[in-house]
Amino acid sequence: MISLRGVSLVYPNGVRALDNVSLEIGKGDFVFLVGHSGTGKSSLLRLLYREAASTAGEIVVDGIRVDRLRRNRVPALRRHLGVVFQDFKLLTDKTVWENVAFAMQVTGAHTRDVMRQVPRVLDLVGLSHKSRMYPNELSGGEQQRAAIARALVNNPKILLCDEPTGNLDPVNTTEITALLQRINLKGTTVVVATHNQAVVDRMRRRVVRLEDGRITTDEERGYYYLGLGQGQVLSG
Amino acid sequence: MDSGKVKFFLGEVVRNFSRNTGMQVTAIGTVAITIVLLGLFLFVRAALADAGNRLLDQIEISAYLQSGATPTQAAAVGHFLAQDPRIASAQFVPKKQGLAELRARTRGSIDTALLTENPLPDKFRIKVRDPEQVEPVAATVRRLAGVDNVVYGQKIVQRLLALGAVLRRVGIGLILAFVGVAGIIISNTIRLTVFARRREIAIMQLVGATNTYIRLPFICEGLLDGIIGALVALGLLEIARAALWPRLLEALPWVQLTAMPVDARILAAQLVLTGAAIGVLASWISVGRFLRT
Repeated sequence: MISLRGVSLVYPNGVRALDNVSLEIGKGDFVFLVGHSGTGKSSLLRLLYREAASTAGEIVVDGIRVDRLRRNRVPALRRHLGVVFQDFKLLTDKTVWENVAFAMQVTGAHTRDVMRQVPRVLDLVGLSHKSRMYPNELSGGEQQRAAIARALVNNPKILLCDEPTGNLDPVNTTEITALLQRINLKGTTVVVATHNQAVVDRMRRRVVRLEDGRITTDEERGYYYLGLGQGQVLSG
Repeated sequence: MDSGKVKFFLGEVVRNFSRNTGMQVTAIGTVAITIVLLGLFLFVRAALADAGNRLLDQIEISAYLQSGATPTQAAAVGHFLAQDPRIASAQFVPKKQGLAELRARTRGSIDTALLTENPLPDKFRIKVRDPEQVEPVAATVRRLAGVDNVVYGQKIVQRLLALGAVLRRVGIGLILAFVGVAGIIISNTIRLTVFARRREIAIMQLVGATNTYIRLPFICEGLLDGIIGALVALGLLEIARAALWPRLLEALPWVQLTAMPVDARILAAQLVLTGAAIGVLASWISVGRFLRT
């Protein structure tokens, strides 16, 4: 589903964000990208939805050669992906319903499909009863659920999350994590960049660790800290 | 296309448009001023061209034959004139007829009865198709065998042609300058709307909207600016024409001005199209610049 081979990313200012990264993510996988701030987690995600262009290496996302993608084909790639951010990126002058429908409307979806699909995803994230409210009237967790609904409304095969719980309290963090797990169980490939230790350690899923733009470890059932569960760190 | 899509799209355009009322008014006003100037220019140019053409139409070339010219030479000149494509008509005026015309024209002021013999030579009265051809035709005819002298309103022709050329250049320069200014102001207006909507644009790009789709509402906004500005200008022009033109006609009776020298519908269409083009072009450029970064 996602494949990176020897991928490097050097920003125009000379900063080397990723250095010779290779990574395979299968269909239906759930993967955490962990590491300190500035180790390249966000950069890696940005490469996948072609917000940044790699300087070397081969990137394939859902069969599309992203590293060779022409500019005018980028919209087609993004329709295969859902992206969620720490700051939600909701439009404050639109209701929850309108925010979610927006993602379909601007990609030319038929009104009939919008009317069918929006209630489905709002139900999935548990926001059906708040669809007429504006983002400012919602809690952080609810806003993030609205953002996830928007990311899912076009039925993407892959959901990319960049610090999805970064702005949330522990209760909302737990809810969002559970929601991501539910989405993954329905067959969507989920990639989450995070430095929330609790989330990673509770889930025990695949953990890819980045340090200074390189992948240092890749564990099938990992913890946030290499080889250590949260409890062990506390007691040690 | 389904009606929900259209409604959504139009909603976006209206929201854009009503977001920066102040800038929108500025943009529309500038387009209006530009179009008023363009309209005035086209109108006045048409009126002057109309009046000028009438004057020029009345200008004829008189080619006088030498007093000793043979009938064969006269016939050859006539034949040549008939074949020249620049010449609309060439009429042979024998000296008898010339004298009769002179008598008719000067009746009461000069007593032509005193003339013992006809002092006039035979001549050809020539009309050209295009006023600009008066001089070259006169020069050609002057060189023909048997032709003595060629007379036409040299000064008038030269001045009218020169005036027309100057007017055209000044007018075109002025209008280009204003089209440029209007374009810059519209493009700034659109840039403000683009900036106000940058979050929305970012999300559209994120979920995979095409650049064409993102661009379209802004193009429509520019188009609206341009068309509304042009319509305002048309209104102003019509008011000015209705109020001022008849008085001008009265005040300048010796200038042969017509009440409506242009086809109003064609002029209106030209002006609205120009306004629309300015709007579309300006917004296209300013959104394009944003999308590329």
